[in-house]
Parts: sequence; C-alpha cells; structure tokens
Amino acid sequence: MMTVITGGSKCGKSSYAEKILDNFHGGKLYAATMLPYGEEALAAIERHRKIRAGKGFETVEKYRNIEEIIIPEGYSVLLECMANLCANEMFRDGSMTDPAEKILKGIEVLKAKAAHLVIVTNNVGCDGITYENGTMEYIKILGKINSGLAEMADNVIECVYGVPVLLKGKLL
Amino acid sequence: MIMITGGAYQGKTEFVRSRFLCSITDGEACDLDSVFSAECIGNYHLLVKRLLARGDDPIAFTERLCRENPDLIVIMNEIGGGIVPIEKEDRIWREQVGRAGCIIADISDTVVRICCGIPTVIKGEML
Repeated sequence: MMTVITGGSKCGKSSYAEKILDNFHGGKLYAATMLPYGEEALAAIERHRKIRAGKGFETVEKYRNIEEIIIPEGYSVLLECMANLCANEMFRDGSMTDPAEKILKGIEVLKAKAAHLVIVTNNVGCDGITYENGTMEYIKILGKINSGLAEMADNVIECVYGVPVLLKGKLL
Repeated sequence: MIMITGGAYQGKTEFVRSRFLCSITDGEACDLDSVFSAECIGNYHLLVKRLLARGDDPIAFTERLCRENPDLIVIMNEIGGGIVPIEKEDRIWREQVGRAGCIIADISDTVVRICCGIPTVIKGEML
C-alpha cells in the first residue's frame, strides 16, 4: 500500500503520517531526507525526533538515491519529505537537473518492498509568487513529482491545520 | 469552538455573517484581551503576527484561548502553502500560524474550509 500526505508548511502532515502507521505492528523505517545543515534544519530535525520518539521508528538518513534504502522484510516506510529530496537531487554542485523520473523510479522500488509506504510531500506551488528561474523550475518539478506520486498511490490525503482531507482512496 | 479557514478573500467572513449572529472581532487591530470574550475572531493569522511582534508566545496564547473561550468562532487564513519565505520572521510567522491552527482545529467540533465562497466541512458537522 502507498499513501501520500500533502499540505502546506506546519499543517500537521508529519503527525498525521506517523499516526497512520500507529496501527502497523511490523517494523517501521523513517527515511529522513532533510540535510542537517543550518540552525533551523537542526531544530526541525530535533523537533521531529522528539515527536517520533517512542513510536517504534528506526531512522535512516538518505538525502539522495532513495532507491538504495534497504527495507527489511515486512517493514513499513515513512519517507519525509519529498520537497527536501527533490531539492537535494535537483541542486548539486552548483548545477541543476530534473530528478523527477529518477525519484519516481526510486519510489516504485520502495513501494514494491515496503508493506506500507507513506510519503510526506508539500504544496509549494500555491503562493502565486513568481520567483527566479531555479525556484520556478523547482515548483514545476515538485508538482510533476507530486502528480506522479498521486497516480501511484492508493491514498492521497491533504492536511489542513491537522485535519485530513481525502483526495484519493480512503482516510486511514 | 468552530474554525473557518481557506485562502485569502475566499468568502470566510461572508460565510460567518450568513450563518451566525455574532459580532466579529478583527485580530489585526483588536484589543488583545478582548479575544478571550469575543464571539468570533477574524484574521487570527494576523493576530499571531501581532503577538510575535510583541515578543509573546502565540502557542501559549492559543492554548489559553481554547481553554477560556471554547465557544469562539475562529477565522484564519491558510498561509502554509508555497515556497519557504526568505525572511526569517516570515518563516517563524508561518510556522507559528501552522501550529496555532493545528491546536484550534484539534479542539474545534467543526472545521469549515471555504474556497471560491463554497464551504466544505472538513471536520465534524455543519451547525
């Protein structure tokens, strides 16, 4: 099974994603994609760690090449967050590439192995502001990835201030 | 508590006026103490900005509000979408609005999201 959780920033996506796996009794892997650089990233990582504590997740940090994540038999995976993964794959060593296809293929690999693959992503395209080219390209590519994810997913849920809104499949 | 949310200028205030007989206190300009006895508070996302500018903790304020004024109707914009803002104070504001909104939505019996003037009940039942 595959579930995608989307929504804006700080709208309860993570808590909801973790709650989905509360009822899962096998092993749980938390695939963290945020690069641990900068004060705010570190604070966010620490906050998420605290929230996850005691919920039975094993954490694996993977900033790129998610297809390499080793998933033990019968494990569920919570991957957070696609917005970071997309940026990490897209902007490397001062150059820019389109990682949509690579990422979606990676997700296919994880989906085939995981009992339940839960992916947290972000709505980055709805503030209506025109940014410089790199950012516009990022918005476009993440939009493309999100559409691809939604197509592959059994369930797609948008979080609005913590309230789940069903977009596809069923609420879990 | 009842929460009315959605993007800017989608008809949130008009929805409240059409459904509820209540006076709306404007979070952008009101006396901060008046919020605790208000029937309805509008622009709660801007109230959060005011609290941050004063050095107050919007989360503690929101938790107190939920305790002391549980019948309140809260109108607040959804502001969490889009690219992470460049300015640090905008990032903090966005984060604090998100957290405050989650607290309000959690305690609310009903959450309504308005888009193009059309209400969708996303939690509970329409009153």
